[in-house]
Amino acid sequence: MTVSSVVSGGDAQQGVAAGPTALEVRGLAKTFGDKTVLHHFDLTVEAGQVHMLLGQNGSGKSTLIKILAGFHQPDVARSFTVGGRSVSAGSAEQVRAAGLRFVHQELGLIGPETVLDNMLYSDGFPTRFGQISSGRARKRVMASLELVGLDIDPASKVDTLSPAQRTGVAVARALMDTGDAAVALVLDEPTATLPGAEVERLHAILRVAVSRGVGVLYVTHHLDEVEQLGDVVSVLRDGHLVAAGPVVDLPRDVIVHALVGGELEAVQNQARPVTAPDEADPVLQVRELVGDRVDGLSFDAAPGEILGLYGLTGSGREAALGMIFGSIPRASGTVRVDATPVMPNRPRASMEAGVSYVPADRKSAGLFLELTAQENLTLSNLRPFWRRGRIDRRAERAEVDSWFKRLAIRPADGAGQTVGTFSGGNQQKVVMAKWLRLNPDVLLLDEPTQGVDVGAKAELHRQLLASRADGTAIVVSSSDVDELVTLCDRVLIIRDGRVHRELVGDDITDHNINRGFLEASTSTNG
Amino acid sequence: MRFNLGLDKYSGLYLGALFIIVFSFLAPQSFPTMSTVHLLTSTQAIAGLAALALLVPMVAGQFDLSIGATANLAGMVTVMVQVDAGLQPLTAVALGVLVGAAVGFVNGFVVVRLHVSSFIATLGMSSILAALQVIVTGNVEPLPVDSELFANLTQHTIFGFQMVVVYLVIVALVLWWVLEKTPAGRFLHASGANPEAARLTGINVDRWSWIALTTSGAISGFAGVLFVSLTGPSLSFGASLLLPAFAAVFLGSTQLQPGRANVWGTFVAIFVLAIGVQGLQLTTGEQWVAGMFNGVALLVAVALAASRERVGSRKGAQGTPADEAMAEAVT
Repeated sequence: MTVSSVVSGGDAQQGVAAGPTALEVRGLAKTFGDKTVLHHFDLTVEAGQVHMLLGQNGSGKSTLIKILAGFHQPDVARSFTVGGRSVSAGSAEQVRAAGLRFVHQELGLIGPETVLDNMLYSDGFPTRFGQISSGRARKRVMASLELVGLDIDPASKVDTLSPAQRTGVAVARALMDTGDAAVALVLDEPTATLPGAEVERLHAILRVAVSRGVGVLYVTHHLDEVEQLGDVVSVLRDGHLVAAGPVVDLPRDVIVHALVGGELEAVQNQARPVTAPDEADPVLQVRELVGDRVDGLSFDAAPGEILGLYGLTGSGREAALGMIFGSIPRASGTVRVDATPVMPNRPRASMEAGVSYVPADRKSAGLFLELTAQENLTLSNLRPFWRRGRIDRRAERAEVDSWFKRLAIRPADGAGQTVGTFSGGNQQKVVMAKWLRLNPDVLLLDEPTQGVDVGAKAELHRQLLASRADGTAIVVSSSDVDELVTLCDRVLIIRDGRVHRELVGDDITDHNINRGFLEASTSTNG
Repeated sequence: MRFNLGLDKYSGLYLGALFIIVFSFLAPQSFPTMSTVHLLTSTQAIAGLAALALLVPMVAGQFDLSIGATANLAGMVTVMVQVDAGLQPLTAVALGVLVGAAVGFVNGFVVVRLHVSSFIATLGMSSILAALQVIVTGNVEPLPVDSELFANLTQHTIFGFQMVVVYLVIVALVLWWVLEKTPAGRFLHASGANPEAARLTGINVDRWSWIALTTSGAISGFAGVLFVSLTGPSLSFGASLLLPAFAAVFLGSTQLQPGRANVWGTFVAIFVLAIGVQGLQLTTGEQWVAGMFNGVALLVAVALAASRERVGSRKGAQGTPADEAMAEAVT
């Protein structure tokens, strides 16, 4: 299974300045107790290249990054080279001093403070007689911002920046004081929470840094990015390096196969109608919704259809579903389920009317990380287990186990574990099960597969298609165009807080969604 | 599975056992006696009730710093309505509990309706209650209640244990049932674990916070009533209840069900702390032992809870960030 004659970035590359190797790891392995997380493998990141690292949750890539960052000691090879120099593993200071830098998914920026302050918190402010020397501080920060081609005022507050700019600031901060030395930069899922257009902007920032000779190791779940940005790609599965090579030599289906080990069946909405369904009895009717950035949003959803919502940041798309469910206040407008009006700002009332809502951010809004998976899953309705003055745990466990089986949640016997210990994909499956078990008439989902691996994503999509077959009206709000193309019967492009375009059946393509979105963006992007 | 001593869950029980062995050795005449057991259980019953009172809002993610002041005021009211107004003991007891519940209700109002953090709201409330107590009593300690019935409420003994211990056990049992066996308990835990997620699950977080604070007030009031029945009126006993209660709830959240504030963990913690204090007092005879011991115990307990969360998050595949866990330990 293991490809052992692995990554050979050196001889495979196309005309990038041949500097020293940015990062080289040989014979790395890691075992926790009796569980081997990383099997003996090599990895090379050349200077001036982007090396994409793919792997599902639990594939060992987080462990790899933690070893590189100095959090864990590897088993055998106790050193790796950065820019040609040997660094002993397990020391965060040494790693940093050698020029290996990290941008984690959590950027660690303090929103209300300035770019300048944020960039100097960890490095220390240049001082004279104990007072911050603002001139020198500004110069250092500007040099680093320039390195990634970011043209922003260091005195501006981080909160005022776009998401891509924020990630750019984190990159610039990571590259502080590296001078002209070849350095390696590790980015851990930098685009997991970025909307579509912002991803492109971040890539532009990274290309600038790469053109200056930085070697980038880029961890992602998005296969699109591999083609857009990568020079070399490596795929981890179950701790083995299962595929590696130049991006041009590895077509997408080969990568997908390597990622999931051939267990993935293509999920595609087969039963997609060619025309709009006759709107005889829509189960969900949204009329003239106003509030936040939503301004006069109206649409219907019929039983047994999957309706997609797409729109750029600030279009009102993000708030739409929360407003329908009642978790975000609305100024005016009506929501009807089965022709009965649903009260605003009352999640409980919406649930009783048959509406389920999977929020976008599972960690802050979807889950109770320190409660068990079982408690998380059944919290949406405890009534079936309430017997003779107590919760019947056995009945509860039985239902939870059946959901674990149905959604292939791992660990399969993990119902009693705190859900915070689950991988991202499995956490999302728990959230999904929590809402599916209510047997909703209307299922609203915000970014249902954000930060989820390919296998879990396919499983979640399968569940949605199954639910659709049962006659549920499903509304998916997503920034993932592929997802909308895969799932939806209709897609609404949102602009200025209302429906701008409607795509039906075969018109739902990557191209059309992006076009609708670009049309939308020309006049609103200001 | 390997044999597991359960140090992560039962460290408090081991610590308690260690205290008993050490102090029995150091003070063989006075410590390992039945009278120590009875003394400990009856004096700690009030502290235990205060800890259980605090436990409820802590589960729901709210502080209650006013439990001591509430208990004190409720106790004073119970005494004065009997001495000055000649009310029947049981009516007076009910009134005392009601005063506590009313205080908790007002706390809930300030937290939920006025959006004041519970830490500040109950801190302010405890100062207000202290002032109210001065107004009500004129800062003069009232005469003890001359009623056998009132005294027997707590001092009557069963199997050598004073009645007050029975109340503690009953309250603990009821709370355990509510918090661990009923939907209400799930909703309280969920509200404390992640208010936003709870809200999106259709749980009325505000209402549960309010209920939790009111319950806390009522149990505190009951504790105060029992105190004056057991040892007579005092103007300042409330202050001494607060810190041990916090220490017990935090230490308790590292016991039996680590990472979760729970009834029996709190129960174990209050007695382990009491055994430590009692033993040290018997062996050293120093006055400052209780304060020092409880303060150190509180810090150690919170540090333990925080480090457990950190280790837990490192083990987990995509666990919670450590800083989140730290924040969790202090809320």
